[in-house]
Parts: sequence; C-alpha cells; structure tokens
Amino acid sequence: MSRLTGLYRGESSVDFPGLWRRAVIASTVAVLIGLASFGIRGLNLGLDFEGGTSYEVRAPGADVADARVVMDDLGAGAARVQVVDDEVLLIRSDVEDPVQAAEIRDALTARLGPVEAFEQVGPTWGDEVTDKALRALVIFFIVVAIYITVRLEWKMAVGALVAVAHDIVLSVGVYSVFQFEITPATVIAFLTIMGYSLYDTIVVYDKVREIVARLGATERYTYPELMNLALNRVTMRSINTSVTSAIPVVSLLIVGSLAMGAAPLQEFAVALLVGIVVGSYSSLFLASSLVSRLKEGEERWRAVASKVRGRAGEEGPTRVIGRQEAVLSDTRAAPRRSPSGGPAKKRPPVVRPATGGAPPRPRKKKKR
Amino acid sequence: MSRRQFVLLLGIVALTVAAAVLTVVWRNEPLLGLDLQGGVSVRLVAVGPTDEAMLDQTVEIIRDRVDGLGVAEPEISRTETGVMVSLPGVDDQERALALVGTTAELRFRPVCRMLNFPGGATEASGTAPSGPASCSLLDSGEVVPSVGPGGVTPPEDDHPTDFVVLGARTGSSEARYVLGPSLLTGEAIAEANPLFIDYQWQVGLDLRAGRVGIDGFNEIAARCYVGETSCPRLEGATNGRLAIVLDGQVVTAPAIRAPEFKADSILISGGFEKQGADDVSLALRYGALPVELEPENTRVVSATIGEDSLRAGVVAGLVGLLLVAVFIVGYYRILGLVALTSLAISGALLWAIVAHLGTQSGLALTLAGVTGMIVAIGVSVDSNVVYFEHLKEDVRDGRTARSSVDRAFPIAFATIVKANTASLIGAGLLWALTVGAVRGFALYLGLATLLDLIATYCFMGPMVRLLATTRWFAEHPQRFGLPASGAVSTAAGSTAEVVS
Repeated sequence: MSRLTGLYRGESSVDFPGLWRRAVIASTVAVLIGLASFGIRGLNLGLDFEGGTSYEVRAPGADVADARVVMDDLGAGAARVQVVDDEVLLIRSDVEDPVQAAEIRDALTARLGPVEAFEQVGPTWGDEVTDKALRALVIFFIVVAIYITVRLEWKMAVGALVAVAHDIVLSVGVYSVFQFEITPATVIAFLTIMGYSLYDTIVVYDKVREIVARLGATERYTYPELMNLALNRVTMRSINTSVTSAIPVVSLLIVGSLAMGAAPLQEFAVALLVGIVVGSYSSLFLASSLVSRLKEGEERWRAVASKVRGRAGEEGPTRVIGRQEAVLSDTRAAPRRSPSGGPAKKRPPVVRPATGGAPPRPRKKKKR
Repeated sequence: MSRRQFVLLLGIVALTVAAAVLTVVWRNEPLLGLDLQGGVSVRLVAVGPTDEAMLDQTVEIIRDRVDGLGVAEPEISRTETGVMVSLPGVDDQERALALVGTTAELRFRPVCRMLNFPGGATEASGTAPSGPASCSLLDSGEVVPSVGPGGVTPPEDDHPTDFVVLGARTGSSEARYVLGPSLLTGEAIAEANPLFIDYQWQVGLDLRAGRVGIDGFNEIAARCYVGETSCPRLEGATNGRLAIVLDGQVVTAPAIRAPEFKADSILISGGFEKQGADDVSLALRYGALPVELEPENTRVVSATIGEDSLRAGVVAGLVGLLLVAVFIVGYYRILGLVALTSLAISGALLWAIVAHLGTQSGLALTLAGVTGMIVAIGVSVDSNVVYFEHLKEDVRDGRTARSSVDRAFPIAFATIVKANTASLIGAGLLWALTVGAVRGFALYLGLATLLDLIATYCFMGPMVRLLATTRWFAEHPQRFGLPASGAVSTAAGSTAEVVS
C-alpha cells in the first residue's frame, strides 16, 4: 500500500515526533536567514511608505504602458502611472535622490512630452498608519494568547504564537531576500498569512486536545504518541485545506507571469504561497513539537512516559497507536462527552487508577 | 433531520436569494478602489507658510476624517506646498472633498454688538490686547475691527485675538456680529456627534475636563451671564450672548442663561440639515487642520494597477475557483458539491454586503480586499474539510455513516468556531485600532469569517444531515466520498501495523 493511498484511507502513520528535530533545525536556519537578510539588506519599501518624486507629463495619446516602458529603461521600474483627465500622465516613482529625479525628468521630456509639474511627495502610508497597525497587532497577540489559554491551554498559546511569528518572519524574509517591493497590498498579504497560520494552528490543536482528552486518561500512551495520532488524523485535513487555499494563488502566479505588467501580482502570489505552505507546515511540525516538549515535562506525562517505557523497553520510532486501540478508548470515553462536544474543562475530572495496573475494560459498544 | 434544521436550511437559502435579488434590483455594485478603478484627485495648497511637520499632521487629520466618512480608502500624501488627496469613485465626491478641505477652526467669541449689512460697518483695522477684552474698547474707538468688502472681517485678518465682524452660517444674510476675541477654541472638544433633538439636527459637543474645556467654558459662561463688559448684555436682554464660530462664520449665538453648566456637553443648534450636522461633527471630532487649505485643482485619475494586471487577476481568480471546484468534487464527490454550494452561499452574501456598503457607504474594494477574499475561499472550504474528514474518521472507526453525520457535526463545528473566533478577534481589533488599508482588510476578514460560520451552521450541516436521511446515502457511501465501511470491523488486525 503506497503511503498516499494510506493517507487517503486514514491509515497513514507518519512518524511526526521523529521529524520534529529536523523540522526545528530547518526552521531555525530559515528564520536566521530571514532575519539576517532583514538586518543586512532590509526591505525594499515602495513609494507608499517612503515617498518619492511625482511627475506630470503632458502626453496626449500616450498610455500607461508607454510610460512604464520609459520608466523601466530609466531603472525606475517601480513607478506608478496614472492617466489624468486623458491628457496628462501622472507618474510617481520612489526615486528620492534629486539628481536622479532630475535625470528622469529630462528623459521623460525627451521621450514622452513636456513635464509640467515635478515635485517631492510624501508617503501615503505614513508612520502613523504603521504605528497604529503595530500597536493593534501587539494587543491582538496578547488577546489571542489569553483566548487560546482559556479555550485550550497556555502551552498551546505559546506554541501558536511561536508558529505565527515563524511564518511571518519567513514571509517577510522572502521579500527581503529577493528584494521585492513592499506595497500596502503586501502588508495586507502578511496580515492574511498571519490570520491563516493562527487559524490552522488552532484547528490542529483542537484535534490534539480531543485525542488527549479521549485517550489520555488510559495512561497507556505518552504525550508524543497521542500527539502523533492527532497529527496523523489531521494531516489529510491540512493537506486538503492547503491545496484548496493554494490553488487560486498558484493560478494567480501562473496567469500573472503570462500577462505583462503583472509583476506586483506575481510577487504578491509568491508571498501568499509561501505563507500558506509555511502556515500549514508550522502547525504540524513546529507548534506541535513545542507543545509536546512543554507537556512532556509535566509530572503526569513524565509518570506515564516512564511507565510505558518500563513496560515496553523500546527505543526508536514513535509507537503508533492503532485504530482499534483508539476506537475502543473512544467508546469508553464517549458517554462522558457532552452532547455538544464542548471543551474538555466541562467534563468531570478524570479518575485515575490508584496503581499502574491495566486500564478498565471498555464498556460494551453502544449504538447511538 | 429535525424541524429546526429544515427551517435553518430554508432560511439561509431564502436569505441568499433575497440578497441576490435585492442587489440586482437596487443596482448595487461594489465600489472599486483607487488602485483598481481610479477616482478623483484633489490638490490642496496651504495658505500661508507651513513646514513638513504641520503638513504631516494635516494628512493625519484628513485621513481620520475620511475614515469617519466610511471606508473609502483614500490616498493622502504631503506635497511640497500642501496635500494631495485621492478618493475612489465615491458617490458624493463634492461632499467628501469639501469635508477633506474644511479647516474646522472652532472659536467661542462673545457678541459685542449686532449690526445689519449694508450700513453700520466701519472700514479700518486694528488689533486688541489678548485675553478677555472689554467691548467698551470698541465704543471708545480704541479698537476698530478690520472689515473688508461684504461687511465682514476678511479671513486673513480673522485672528483669534482680534475683534472681528462676522456673518451667520445660515439664516439672515444681513446679520453681522461684532465679536470680541476668542475665549475658547476647538481644542476644548473631546467628541462631537450629530444628534436629533427637538425635531432638528444639532451637534452635540463633549468638552474636555480642565482649563481648556469645561472649566474654561464655565468661566466664560459666568461672565456672559452677568453681562460683564467683555460679554455685554445687548439692548433689552438680561444676559450676554456667546457666539460659536466655525471657520469664520457664526453658527449660533445663544444667550447664556445660566452662570455655570454642570454637564460637560453642549448642543449647537444652527439649523443644520442631517448631512450638515454629520459633517460638522466629523470635522470637529478630529480637530482643526493646522493649516488652511485651498483646493488648487480636482482631476479624474485612472487606476494605479494597469488594466492588464487587473484582467490577469480576474482570469487567475476564475481559473483558481474552477480548479478548487474540480478538486473538491473529485475528492469528496457529492459532499464536495455541498461544500461548493455552501461556498457559493457565503460568497453571494459577501458580494451582496460588499456591493451594498460600496453603494451606500463608500466602502471601496481594493486589490488587498480581493486578496482577502481569495484566501477566504480557502478558509471557507476548510470548514467543510474539517467536518468531512471527521466524518470519515468516524466511519473508519466503525460507526455507520448516518450516525457519524449527527455525531461529527457538533464536534467539527466547535473546532471551526474556536479557530474562527481567533480570526474574528483579530478582525475586530484591527478594525477598531487601525486606519487606512489595514482597516479595510479587517472588515473583509471579519465579514468573510462570519459568513463562513453562518453558511456552515445553516447550510452545510443541515444539508449533509438531509442527504444522510436518504437511502441512497446509506447504500452508496462512496458517492459521498466516505469509506465503504468501518475499518475496524473488516481489517482489525492490520490497522496497527506501521505503514512505510
């Protein structure tokens, strides 16, 4: 049975904990590259953020494409061209150096028509907008951390925030490494990635919570084993969702590369694609490994781990929890579940067996 | 399939159809943003000397005002001599541009005398000492207010410390107010709102606490109440009058009938229309512009993104949507069709809302908004995927498909709510705390998330349950993308083995 068919049939068994180590190393390297590039090369901020020079060229009959060709030749390809009242081309470029700006003016006069106005313009996306957005983000992170702590647990809040930060650093890193121009739309793309990543992580965590609540009480499995089961069960969901989210973006990338003058769209699509892929990856590999590491340290899970290891005495790949085992425990736990499938905290506290004997036999299966 | 489920299903379908029909009947269309469609661009030139810091502050105030008007996503930048404001094809461009350029300088000045124009106006100029100056300075001829043609003080001589002669904003065009130096300015205002009181539109001002605020106002009120020389009683009146002057025009000049005002809010009734009250409040709320601006020219500008890019984007979106449809239906079969219908419902509702807001409130759809919607497609599909995968797990665990349908939905929906709540928190905070493009994004994110939850709860869940009641569903689970039978019962021995 190929792994793919196995995945489709829900019998996949990727050894996630075995991959965590490599994932953490790979992510660390990628984050470091992103940060280094950010520190050394910085970002290529467009004229919306830094201002630049604006030219008004009287050129009846010339269109946006003509102006773009001229600006490309002059090495100021990131210009924004608008037609004003059908006769005047309003060209804004992020060139700030007065000498270069004057050269461009002369070239425009020579090739398109008389430059009627020529002046420095300030940013449309001022520092005020950035400051307010950053402040809002900090508050958002705090509120979301509290929210995840309440609905799930604080260790998951830590994992989710680390994963989101990782995704943002990588997406911004792509823009820094390739020196794509940052526009307001790019910033929106980053925010979109952030939202997507957080959403994805919470869906994965909820599965983990469900599995742990169901099978954890048996004390037969260590936390990484339970986590592995949950991740395997949510893998198909993650893949499908990433694929459906990525299809429109890939399509934007391909169509964008065929159409002329769609470079901003393409760069935009690259950022989103990286965000979507990395967002799903970080939920499965980073966010989960971090939580697992934090949970393993808990007394309860340490006790379980030593007990399990003592009995099996095995080393190597993570023990896979078979479907049969999982189901049996499921039925046993089912009557305790509230009808709405509500959060775990509403359930009565788990009664643990006094000694490490065999767990109670499951009750007879009940049809519902 | 309970009765409630059926009502939900019917309700959401009816709602969607109604929304689609109304959108067509009302001719609602989304308002495309500056980047996609172009708009008007006005160049405002500062009157008098300015510097970069003042212009930056002006840009901030104008941005707040435009945001207050709706989510038009303007482009506002400082130029060498003033400010350039571009607005997408807003319905009421003149109103927007007028609001943008309003200085909104509010002054409280005592009324020294009333005149009628023509006649009674003197032609000379002079300045008075600062602080509360006695109106008797006018009588003795020590100070003579500057008066230009039209019998009012020209704007360039309208300094806060001078005596001035001003006309009324509405009503009689002949009335002229001879006013003392400004006693309090718009800085005293914390908040301004249009209110409908006593069958007319008024502007309610909340004053700040302290000296520049309610205390300062009461100081003046005490003076006017007793009719001190700085705020004298006019003939036949028992109290002095205080004029509220906005950009050189007297909005209203009520007699002060109490020595002290306890509440920290005052009402201005100046015979406002609703829109006038709205605009004055909006302008006052964000304070006066530090410089006076004059429009130099207003022009129509084209989109910043070329038409070629736009077309590429639309084609890409359609192709992408088609591929998503093929993938989903190929993978989940009939359940995939349900997912697509659910997507169509939330999409239609989103379109209706965006078109309505675009037509009614000037909400602009920019490239960023379109991107938000494309990604929203992915997240909407995910709500279905989470449920369907849960369903498959349950069937593999040995349940019947029919019982899994009822059991899995609440669990899957709880997960979706949890994850979407995080998105909603983000959308809400960004909406409340940011300005400009980020705010527009927050709105789209919030709307899409909410509609996703609605479509999932009201359509997708009930629809799958409805299908589950058919015999067809029980007999051919494969057609619904579900495993044929529980894995546990058939392959109990093999499931525990490690697949590699």
